[in-house]
Amino acid sequence: MIAKTRQIPDGKKELKNLSILHYVNADYVYYPVTSARCPEGETCVIGGQFVKVGEVIGTRKASFFEQPIHATVSGEVLGYEKHVDQSGSLVDCLIVRNDKKYELHESIVERNDVDIEKLNKEDMIQIIKDAGLVGLGGSAFPTYIKLATKDPIDVVLANGVECEPYLISDYGLMIDHPEEVIEGLIFAMKTVHAKRGVIAIKKKYKEIEERLTFALKAYSQYDIKVVKVGNHYPSGWEIETIRNALGITIPQGELLSKYGVLNFNVSTLQSIYSAIKLGLPVLERLITLSGNGVKNKTFRARIGTMLTELVELAGGYVDLEKPKVMILGGPMMGVNVTRDDIVITHTTTSLIVLNEETAIEEPCVRCASCVYSCPVNIKPVQIMNAYKIRNKDAIQTLEVNLCIECGLCSFVCPSKIHLTEYMRKAKTLVK
Amino acid sequence: MQTVKQTSPYVRKAISTKRMMTDVLIALIPVVGFSIYRFGWDAVVRIVVSLVVMIGLEAIMFGMMQKPKKHDKYWVRLKSRYETYTINHVVVPAISAIIFALIVPSQIPVYAVVVGAAFGIVVGKMIFGGTGSNVFNPAAVGRIFIGLALANMFAGAYPDVDLIAGGTALASARGALGFPNTLFSYSLRDLFFGNIPGSMGEVNALAIIIAGAYLLIRRSADYRVIASALLTFVILMAVAGLSMYPGHALEFVLFHLFSGGLMFGVVYMITDPVTSPITRPGRWIYGMLFAALTVLIRLFGAYPEGVAFAILFANMFVPLIDFPKWSTNKIKPTFVAGYAVMIILLGLIVYFGTGGIA
Repeated sequence: MIAKTRQIPDGKKELKNLSILHYVNADYVYYPVTSARCPEGETCVIGGQFVKVGEVIGTRKASFFEQPIHATVSGEVLGYEKHVDQSGSLVDCLIVRNDKKYELHESIVERNDVDIEKLNKEDMIQIIKDAGLVGLGGSAFPTYIKLATKDPIDVVLANGVECEPYLISDYGLMIDHPEEVIEGLIFAMKTVHAKRGVIAIKKKYKEIEERLTFALKAYSQYDIKVVKVGNHYPSGWEIETIRNALGITIPQGELLSKYGVLNFNVSTLQSIYSAIKLGLPVLERLITLSGNGVKNKTFRARIGTMLTELVELAGGYVDLEKPKVMILGGPMMGVNVTRDDIVITHTTTSLIVLNEETAIEEPCVRCASCVYSCPVNIKPVQIMNAYKIRNKDAIQTLEVNLCIECGLCSFVCPSKIHLTEYMRKAKTLVK
Repeated sequence: MQTVKQTSPYVRKAISTKRMMTDVLIALIPVVGFSIYRFGWDAVVRIVVSLVVMIGLEAIMFGMMQKPKKHDKYWVRLKSRYETYTINHVVVPAISAIIFALIVPSQIPVYAVVVGAAFGIVVGKMIFGGTGSNVFNPAAVGRIFIGLALANMFAGAYPDVDLIAGGTALASARGALGFPNTLFSYSLRDLFFGNIPGSMGEVNALAIIIAGAYLLIRRSADYRVIASALLTFVILMAVAGLSMYPGHALEFVLFHLFSGGLMFGVVYMITDPVTSPITRPGRWIYGMLFAALTVLIRLFGAYPEGVAFAILFANMFVPLIDFPKWSTNKIKPTFVAGYAVMIILLGLIVYFGTGGIA
């Protein structure tokens, strides 16, 4: 099939109909001390200490920012264990035994509208920084750094496209709590003094459009619009979303704020809402179990819950005799893990379990499907050939650094060549 | 439960090279059917011989290129050479073989078919490394080889030649009879429905158009090459027709479109992805290059027909078109302008070459 391919069978129809199970009764919850962005971290509690919901129990440190770790249950600190986190690597985790009383920490105070009116930009950013908010779409980039930009911001974009197949958590959020997303967007707009807000969703999700437009009626004093973008993949890639929703073309590698745009995932906006309005850090998030290797189910669970418990609750794995591929995130760009004792962190959106399918690689027939499909207009097949002979000059000429590793080239290849892997190898070769 | 390590993406599209290649085989059915209907056993024998030679030689050479396992028994060693031998190593040479058989005349000696098929698959394809690595279209390589090396075997190889015309349509249009008169021997209707002498698969334009439509609907062929080639060919032939036979320009264009191997080459041979460029503008350029060369050979060359030569020449330019420094998948305004300028330039060359103004 020699053609540009952008549609991926996404399996969301079945997932949409799953009811959301609210699960808070984990006996033990785990908090990774470090994360992929923050290679160092420390805790400020001792074994046996009693912690409350929202209490700061440690800090993760990176080169230019720090991030507090909050307890999401109340209970007793037990000690440390090693478990897998979102990035797929083993990390030290602090264990807290859940007493299931969910006592709130003294620092958590709800703000009423009058209090919020009084907050200025610095206050807002400080609240968001203290709440430890990060980009929940998967980047885990600290939200306060984005908001603290000095460039004039014209429009704040809420990205609810979620173009990866098998993921449904942003969809579920917008269906259940559209007003929280909108208020979060308004807070973000107030912080950066932006006049416009835009919520980008997929064209085919008519029901979300209805929910959002209905909810927006209560906020008619703000200039917020719902914009529908294409159903294709990767329409949720921020540059693609901004181009389709706002008509602004931003070259790769440039800061969005230079063009007067800020882009947030809808769940990030919801977390901004709960930080400013309720004074809460991120306590819970939506997690989808999907794929043909596990019973599918959507959960709302506390940060720190072990995914094994959710898998058991959903009904466990199916086809146990078949080897499985386990993925955190979407099936196009997600992280492969080989154990299932995964701790839910801010950015854990899903666990996808697929029965293994081995693709037999055939020789390339130069059909150019990968070239046609590439969203950044590079030529994966030539990069692969250049990498095979370790030709660094050619790889640089072919601009492999533009590659966003969206996975489309491997997806479309009729010869089942793993081009995306070649792209990654070529990138490390010319680094 | 066993878990496996993989890297993203973890899902793949449900298409395969096998499907693309099988589509071409299916698309060959109308043409093969017509050639058997028209030429009978002559066609069957040549197609089967070509199939046996190409698939057999590809299998033998494939085995020679693999590293065998170390083992005492000869059979085990031989078997280990064929561990990665798949259906693609049958289907792909089968396509080349059928295409090759269809571009030779029906009464050419079987010996010539064997030589051409063997040369095409060995020198045209396997020496470069087999499927996906060949620079030239194997069928065209084989056809040109026997056309040059065994030229006298082609004399009298075309059946049902019109006595007044004295040769195939293209040859007589260039010969003593001249162009508009050729139409009395071979009408446009006969050209379209294949009631003319010529190579087995090339004569029936209707069957080829049906196959081309199938390939395009299944997206197993890129429409850009076909569109570019037909566009350039029609424009240049129209210029030549207007300059040489102002009263018969339309007939001239249709005559050249449906005679010789043009339709066959456009649908089956230049759409071969292996020997095409890999970018959108590249494929437009490739199609134009092929059509322009065909027109120039037909009008000014020493041969009446130039499709196979044009394909080989266009193949030669593919690495140049694809050179990483300038090839890009974006269709830029400069490309569109360059394409238009090239067509105008070629049109002028054809116009002055065919004696316009003078």
